[in-house]
Amino acid sequence: MAPMANATSTDQVRKFAAEQFADEPNWLRARRNRLVEVYLAAPLPVRQRTPLKSRKLDQIPIATVPGASDLPNDVQNLYQVANLITVNGQTMHIHVPPAWRDQGVILLSMKQAVNVAPQLLEEYLGTVVNDDVDKFQALNGALWQNGIFLYVPARVTLDHPITVAHFGSSNVSNVLPRSLLVLDQEARATIIEQYLSEPGPERSLWAIATEIVLKDGAQLQYGAMQQLAATAESFVRRGAQVGRDAHIYWNLGEFGSSLSIAEHTSLLEAPGGQSDSTTVFFGSGTQHQDYVSVAKHVAPHTTSRMVARGVMKDDSRSVFTGVTEIKKGAVGTDGRQKEKILMLSDTARADAIPSLLIEESDVFAAHAASAGPVDAAAIFYLMSRGLSEAEAIRMVVHGFLATAIDAIPVDVLRQNVWNAVERKIAE
Amino acid sequence: MATPVLEIKDLHVSIDGTPIINGLTLSVKGGEVHAIMGPNGTGKTSLAQTLMGHPHYTVTSGQVLLDGQDVLAMRTDQRARAGLFLAMQYPSEISGVTTANFLRTAINSLRAAQEEKPITLKEFRDRLDEAMRFLEMDLQFANRYLNEGFSGGEKKRNEILQMLMLRPRIAVLDEIDSGLDIDAVKVVAKGVHSLVGPEFGALVITHYQRILAYLKPDVVHIMMDGRIVKSGDKSLAEELETKGYDWVRSEFIHEV
Ligand SMILES: Nc1ncnc2c1ncn2[C@@H]1O[C@H](COP(=O)(O)OP(=O)(O)OP(=O)(O)O)[C@@H](O)[C@H]1O
Ligand SMILES: [Mg+2]
Repeated sequence: MAPMANATSTDQVRKFAAEQFADEPNWLRARRNRLVEVYLAAPLPVRQRTPLKSRKLDQIPIATVPGASDLPNDVQNLYQVANLITVNGQTMHIHVPPAWRDQGVILLSMKQAVNVAPQLLEEYLGTVVNDDVDKFQALNGALWQNGIFLYVPARVTLDHPITVAHFGSSNVSNVLPRSLLVLDQEARATIIEQYLSEPGPERSLWAIATEIVLKDGAQLQYGAMQQLAATAESFVRRGAQVGRDAHIYWNLGEFGSSLSIAEHTSLLEAPGGQSDSTTVFFGSGTQHQDYVSVAKHVAPHTTSRMVARGVMKDDSRSVFTGVTEIKKGAVGTDGRQKEKILMLSDTARADAIPSLLIEESDVFAAHAASAGPVDAAAIFYLMSRGLSEAEAIRMVVHGFLATAIDAIPVDVLRQNVWNAVERKIAE
Repeated sequence: MATPVLEIKDLHVSIDGTPIINGLTLSVKGGEVHAIMGPNGTGKTSLAQTLMGHPHYTVTSGQVLLDGQDVLAMRTDQRARAGLFLAMQYPSEISGVTTANFLRTAINSLRAAQEEKPITLKEFRDRLDEAMRFLEMDLQFANRYLNEGFSGGEKKRNEILQMLMLRPRIAVLDEIDSGLDIDAVKVVAKGVHSLVGPEFGALVITHYQRILAYLKPDVVHIMMDGRIVKSGDKSLAEELETKGYDWVRSEFIHEV
């Protein structure tokens, strides 16, 4: 008997790539074609505690042309605030403040960037995230559809946050967002990427990548909110290359998607570089979440702070692996991580795994990780003041997340994260 | 509202199968202050926690009624909504939740149960300021996380603050005076006194005569081995302080 066929044949993928991107410059087409082969040959990503084989991800069709759609009513208000909205990988809306344009800021959809800023694209695309690393990363590298392209010239500070929304409709089988953010010397910006989708009759596969390049002294507040539907399976990889005295802030909210495999890395390759990373996640139902956060200290006097706060309810499952890697020669490095997980049910499972890989002795590195149930005494205490059990749990969850969420310096994002938490608690 | 009556009738309680309270009978009415004194491990905290419905304690027999209603059939939050309050011997610390936010939520839960509108922010602020000033508390405490990093004495004062804000009908105060300096004892006693009246009664668990000098209890109960062995007026507390529990044992316990 023949083995169960993939939903999409090898030839279909090759043909799709050749046709779909025929108008793109040669270097990009060559890059895509090479990565198509990597995708076809590469094994599934390996995550020790997350078996992927049994999920039969090859049953989800890829290389399909997504149909047109619009935002659902409840997120129509994004049109007022978003700088870029993509729906099924197509640009629906783009807004660039004229003042920014006058300052030399280049803000484009990635689709536009292919034609409008090909030199910059060629210079940076794939330099931070390694597209060869696994199957779904290669899929994104080969067939990425759209995303935000940002270049901020030296010493320019953007006066308000950039908001990007990636939306997938119910009939789309794969969405492959890709963004590239380059901040020149001492430039400053804030950006928030949101991922939203409608639940569909079939599963959808999301492979997401964002690359960030910070030149010397640049600072970026990067925020992301993942609220994909329960029919989505998502693979996310983000990387920031951090220049001398530059500073990356990660504020990541992970709430949606049935499977969520995500990794973000700060490459501290020049002295004085800093990384501050906060991940807030909330699992419910049968969600399976596997996060990796990496601070890679290559240069001396680099600093990293890594914080993760997770809440798990129902039968959800999470793994959070924090990796602080300190290379030989990175003297005077300071890397700290703290992971804390609150378990709201006996049937949920969570692992917090701090890992310190240290090759240099003249450094400071510390980690703390814990996972535990809600304090029954605290619930009794709150109920003795008249709060129902549900209100008491809600209050404890709020308190648990408050220090992480309230530290998010971008108002809209902080509010979004709180709203998402409320929805998850009420689910 | 009518004068509250809390009646405890022949209450038997055990923890994990071990009997802790063995036939305790007591009743407290609005306008009254009762004190319970007794040696360590005699079941005072167990009584208090049982009254509030702590899941650890199993009532094996007996009754607890508030205004004739079966308290033991109520969940902990329902007991609070019926007007019971417990100032705990060891209050929990709730990280990330400010005292003010917690109190407002609690007041609104109680109001919702009475089908009243939520308290306005202004009214809440005014009442909170007033109560904190009355208890000589630094107003900053309202913005600190509930009990987190509070000293022992600050936690006790915070329990009384909650009592003033929530206005219960019957309050059980479990060692509210332990670890307090003499000024703080006076403040706490002042707090309790400010509520005592036809609509409020208190059951005060203590080891010390000194808070009773301020509270002037109507009745003092001595509890040993899970039951009340002697009740009297406030002179009983004074006598106990000089003579000790051995006196109680030899005078009032006649085991066969
Ligand atoms: N969770 C528990 N499991 C087993 N025994 C318990 C538990 N909690 C309390 N006890 C026991 O029940 C008895 C009564 O304890 P309780 O705390 O009610 O005493 P108390 O009168 O409040 O003492 P104190 O004056 O020291 O506060 C003690 O013997 C105690 O060891
Ligand atoms: Mg006690």
